[in-house]
Amino acid sequence: MTTTEGFKRHGNHSYIAEFSESEKEVLLNLCEQIIELLAERVDHGHEDPLAAMVGITSHDSPPEDDVLRRLLPNAYADAVDASEFRRYTESTLRQRKQAHAISMRIHLKSADDGVIDLDHDSANAWLGAINDIRLALGVRLGVEKKSQEELALLAPDDPLRGVYAVYTWLGWLQETLLSALIDDSDEDEESLLGSS
Amino acid sequence: MVKIADKIEEEIRAIFTGDTPWVTIVWDDPVNLQTYVTYVFMELFGYSKARATELMLQVHNEGKAIVSTGSREEMEHDVARLHEYGLWATLQRGDQL
Repeated sequence: MTTTEGFKRHGNHSYIAEFSESEKEVLLNLCEQIIELLAERVDHGHEDPLAAMVGITSHDSPPEDDVLRRLLPNAYADAVDASEFRRYTESTLRQRKQAHAISMRIHLKSADDGVIDLDHDSANAWLGAINDIRLALGVRLGVEKKSQEELALLAPDDPLRGVYAVYTWLGWLQETLLSALIDDSDEDEESLLGSS
Repeated sequence: MVKIADKIEEEIRAIFTGDTPWVTIVWDDPVNLQTYVTYVFMELFGYSKARATELMLQVHNEGKAIVSTGSREEMEHDVARLHEYGLWATLQRGDQL
């Protein structure tokens, strides 16, 4: 399904990929979905408006949805500690994850020619957003329970087959961005050593 | 009662000796790419590629690895950052491993 060659490093700290119109649409669609998924839990009537303003929520139980439970996991094995931590941090975590996907969406929307040019920080936002999308798709695909071989052998009429194709494509895309970034930091280390 | 007193004494000793008995643990996950996990360790903790790779392999092979140690507040910060980037992390007291 891919025509893009993925991300490549250009000059110092610039990471460029070119996407076809259909690839852009797939990525945009996934961004929209993850942004929507990460929206706050609506719990009118129980929410203290002042507490909500500073990011404290009244819900302290893990999300019921499997995907959200993976995206917003417990920080403690102990249930009481986990609830307390969640009450003070889940809202911020949702916002930070949404911010990654929103940054990715803005890049895609403004790339009329399909060319995406990222700096270091926006590359990190893309990595985070792509990873959240892969985590979400992975839960739906049952990656925890199925082997790669099983997933590769999904029947042609199985709707999950298309999902698996997108999942592996995103993994490949993420890998191209990572190798561009990691090559970069290798050179930074060398140049630091060289100048000392 | 004795148990609680012991715990308090231990906490107080930790405060005065500057002991930092909390750890952040990253757990293995079948979705996250190995290169990605390595990169996140480099970015968030400033680890060298070699150190980050070593920790990633420990997560992969042993199912988990301690990636940072410090005060409870510091570890809560680390866990929140790891969750932001989709790694499966928890914190706990280092003496209860």
